[in-house]
Amino acid sequence: MSFDDYWDAVDDELARLPARPVLEPVPSRTTEDYTSYDVWLTSAGPYRIFGNLSVPTGPGPFPALLETPRYGSVNQVSHHNEKLRYVVFAVTHRGQRNADTPFAAAYPGLFTHGIESPESYVYRGIVADCLRGAEFLLARPDTDRAGVVGDDLALITAARRTGFTALRVAEPLFYRVSDRPPEELADHLRAHPSAQVWETLSYFDPVRHAPGVGATTLLATDDGSWYEPLADALPDAEIYPLTHEDAADNDGLDAWLAGRLGVEPMSRFVR
Amino acid sequence: MRDPEAATIEVPRPADFDEFWAESVAACTALPLRPSFEYAPGLSTDTVAVYDVRYTSYQGVRVAAWYTTPRDGPAPYPGLVTIPGYISEPDVPRRWSELGYAALAVAPRGKLRSNAVFDPGYPGLLTHNIVDHHTYGYRGFYLDVVRAVDVLAGRSEVDTSRIGLQGSSQGGGLGITTAALRPEAIACVSAGAPYLCGIMAATRLTRSYPYEEITEYLRVHPDHAPLVAETVSYYDGINFAPKVRAPVMIYLGLEDDVCPPETGFAVHRALPGEHPLHTYPRCAHHAGLPRVMTVVEEFLAEHLAPEVGA
Repeated sequence: MSFDDYWDAVDDELARLPARPVLEPVPSRTTEDYTSYDVWLTSAGPYRIFGNLSVPTGPGPFPALLETPRYGSVNQVSHHNEKLRYVVFAVTHRGQRNADTPFAAAYPGLFTHGIESPESYVYRGIVADCLRGAEFLLARPDTDRAGVVGDDLALITAARRTGFTALRVAEPLFYRVSDRPPEELADHLRAHPSAQVWETLSYFDPVRHAPGVGATTLLATDDGSWYEPLADALPDAEIYPLTHEDAADNDGLDAWLAGRLGVEPMSRFVR
Repeated sequence: MRDPEAATIEVPRPADFDEFWAESVAACTALPLRPSFEYAPGLSTDTVAVYDVRYTSYQGVRVAAWYTTPRDGPAPYPGLVTIPGYISEPDVPRRWSELGYAALAVAPRGKLRSNAVFDPGYPGLLTHNIVDHHTYGYRGFYLDVVRAVDVLAGRSEVDTSRIGLQGSSQGGGLGITTAALRPEAIACVSAGAPYLCGIMAATRLTRSYPYEEITEYLRVHPDHAPLVAETVSYYDGINFAPKVRAPVMIYLGLEDDVCPPETGFAVHRALPGEHPLHTYPRCAHHAGLPRVMTVVEEFLAEHLAPEVGA
């Protein structure tokens, strides 16, 4: 199956499935400045996924922010600073906590789950979950411009859904995996050497998705030369050179996004 | 402007703190460990053997861990228990065995591989039964790490005089509590950005998770504040620190929004004797990572003497 056909099929499947959102207010995460909700949506599969939504108090519209899931069993609820400034939606993909029925991801194990074919690979559904989250957020009437942040799940989401002004990417999982296989993949290949793995992973290569990104992009890395092919493939990208002084990095990354989405930068460290 | 090193962090110490934890450890150790070690060929390499471990801990809960040993080299090896962070699952600690350690990466109850009968969720663990120190969710969680030390000490290929603890954030905090509860068994602790120290003060110093969980809990249960403060005082690393006998290396990010540096300085001050402290300006919860790992490895090697490349 061609790259385009593969991903068009994902979009078609999502288009056939109504999201049927359910929002439940969360009083413990609600203040005079924002209201928080637990959210459930139907994604490809069909599979019911989860997310945390927070909406600032006031008439709006507000900038929107989609936080795509990290690699791991738990996603943090969005930070107070994001809740103050954005309509922020942190989407949880299938297999992660709160979206782990009927599929509970294993760690280690998720990265290679179903990797024997592109159709069975778990990340087909995980990308669909992120796309569903984007559709849910972008459809809200109380938002104007929108940003998306995360790893290559954010990049693929920005490539396949219009409406994002800004994309901030760090530590893409699927980038140059044949050059530096992550540990889970190396373990899998040791036991199951197969060329099919590379075929599957090629559908998720962020360099192949990059030309579709319409958003201004910030790529955070401590190795600009390693990421040169990705930066070159993105239509409008700049590199943020990570220093690993992470408070300073966090502030720099926050300020970049805030500038693109028209809000004030904020530091998580209260000085 | 904050001055974390100069800040005063006070944690009341319950009068029955020592008795509570002595009873807790006794209740736990009264249960046979019944450890099982199943070789994991898919995770093992030419240089490191990996085992899927289960053992019995507090209230009979079966707890999982990954255990790794060097393939070659002279046993006994120094032992290292690695303790996970709040939201992370334990990594298979092969890297430590490549450095010569027999390493046990514990998944305390509630982590994915140990959540069959206790699963408070994330967020959730920090506030699970937080109004009662007897039933607080962290009681078993703390003891699971203590029993992990016992599992490691029971291995014939481990030198029981050279067992260390390593972790960051929750792993750092529980390194300190475990060293206090097993002072005779622990040779050294590497604790990065220790969590669960100065707990109530931390909720006032940050809006970041996990401490934000307590802030949220008190938003809907403001009348529980005295009970919450009482409960967490039994679990605060600052109250455990005076019992630690092993050298503890602490490293802190001076702009850590997750575990405020004030609390890290406070637990360092509460340790008896001299202990190395490394601080990193402009750093947050990574607390100097990745470059601090070289310092961590050197500290552990100094006290545990692995035969590198064995």
